[in-house]
Amino acid sequence: MKAEHLQQVRPAFHDPALGSQAVFRAALNALSHPGRLNHMPRVTDLPSHGHGSAAVLLLTMVDSECEVWLSPALENTDAAAWLRFHTGCPWAESPDLARFLWVANGDALPALNTLAMGSDEYPDQSATLVIEVDAASEHGEQGTSAFSLRGPGIADMQSLSVRGLPQDFVE
Amino acid sequence: MFHAFDTSGLNKPMKRPDWMALLARAPLALLEQGLDKQSATEPSWLRRPETGLYMVLARAGGTGERFNLGEMTVTRCALRAGADVSGLVGVAYVLGRDHRQAQLAALADALLQDPAQREALNTKLLQPVRKHLAMLQTQRAARAAATKVDFFTVAREVDGIDEEDGA
Repeated sequence: MKAEHLQQVRPAFHDPALGSQAVFRAALNALSHPGRLNHMPRVTDLPSHGHGSAAVLLLTMVDSECEVWLSPALENTDAAAWLRFHTGCPWAESPDLARFLWVANGDALPALNTLAMGSDEYPDQSATLVIEVDAASEHGEQGTSAFSLRGPGIADMQSLSVRGLPQDFVE
Repeated sequence: MFHAFDTSGLNKPMKRPDWMALLARAPLALLEQGLDKQSATEPSWLRRPETGLYMVLARAGGTGERFNLGEMTVTRCALRAGADVSGLVGVAYVLGRDHRQAQLAALADALLQDPAQREALNTKLLQPVRKHLAMLQTQRAARAAATKVDFFTVAREVDGIDEEDGA
């Protein structure tokens, strides 16, 4: 890391152990209840670029063995320097090599079918996509992509509407 | 342990790697003394002091295979001098487990990046460190010199007649 990048870096977790545990709990809740909205605890100083919740989630999940791909709006920003400094993550050359992808609000998604899928033996090697959107709600809204979700983690039916996703996100 | 750039040239400008190398080997007492007022304030941490191990690799004779010589305990930290966002960022890696030493070395690194403070810190902090390292080097050289053994070989006298007989 160059000195001028380091100069922009902000601190991370106020308390590394408790902070990362709180974020991990939030992520666990979110993944076990698809479609339910969760609030990310505010436990870190944040970079000026990128959404805070995405930044905190990646800070918690990523380590020095996780290749991360950043969308163009995040590349070479203080968010990149911040994530790199605090986690030691390497940058992925292209989206298909990444384990985690961080797509800033307004940036185009990489083609989803090119991302790492994992294998039957190692499904955990699939890519995790963190997308920033304009808004999300558990009730229908105008001008949003609306979903009705059923399946594991959902008792009956969960409705979710997201503003800021491309039209062809689910196909 | 000792490097050519430890001696300060009068004309050559001091670079960041030079002073960082000096600070990494500066004993705590000299750091406290050189930074007396500045060291009192709590810095804003980017990375609190953390102690870990580094594997030292070595190569015998410069041509042999690389091998693991052993692990070294290293403490590192990164901090921002002063409370506001514009403060300079300093980094330090020091041998051992002394968090305070790493903190002060990082603080000195941050302050030395400010041209306005560099000259004063150079006189107050880096010069004593240079002197201390030079003294260590002299002591070490003297200890080594005391064990020096001069080998010499007395030229053997060759008995020419015996050789002729043998032939």
